[in-house]
Amino acid sequence: MNFIGVVAALTAFFSIWFGHVAVRKIEFTSPIIWLPTTTFAALGLFVEFLSLSMVNRPMSVVFGILGITLLFDALEFTRQQKRIIKGHAPANPNNSLHIKILAEHSSATTLDLLKRDPVGHVVSINKPIS
Amino acid sequence: MGIATVFIIGLGFPLVIHGERIFGFLWWPYMMGAGILLVVISLWIRIDWLSVLVGVLGATFVWGSTELKEQAVRAEIGWYPFNGNKIKPPFENILKKWKAPHL
Repeated sequence: MNFIGVVAALTAFFSIWFGHVAVRKIEFTSPIIWLPTTTFAALGLFVEFLSLSMVNRPMSVVFGILGITLLFDALEFTRQQKRIIKGHAPANPNNSLHIKILAEHSSATTLDLLKRDPVGHVVSINKPIS
Repeated sequence: MGIATVFIIGLGFPLVIHGERIFGFLWWPYMMGAGILLVVISLWIRIDWLSVLVGVLGATFVWGSTELKEQAVRAEIGWYPFNGNKIKPPFENILKKWKAPHL
């Protein structure tokens, strides 16, 4: 049996999960996004470099996948901020950057509009959350 | 491998959007099962790069299955087109009682 696919799958799943949560939490609290974006991009490049210099193939795969997800997360900070502007993710009233977004964009909101269960039909966005 | 991974993960976005629109979020156990099956299949692939690609594709399916519920809400509140005539999953009544995962 060849376990390299399982190693890759576990790395991909947990690094996607980590990135998904980290981007949301960091963007929610950080008043600047260039710093986390640069940090994730630098870390991603470093991890990719490690992957290329590894002789051990499973470790090279782990670092290769982890590095690319970190680079992907670096881009996600900007995408997350666009979601805040559109109201597709909740703005943080204690974050100075989000306060500015809330003042400039009427679409932005502090409500998490996705925090409800699907009901099987179109619902009004203003309907009470289930 | 990393570059191939980013394409496969990128594939996860349309997979969830179109999958939810056509089938609905109740299909999540089938999507998760397909993902786990792909990871198991990767164990018997002797070519390393192919085993990795199949494993990552499996992980993308498992991750996608946890995103279906939220995508269903996005469609219901009008952020994505809503399809009222979705293909119903086998054992729909049982699946309705199961809590769809979201990470």
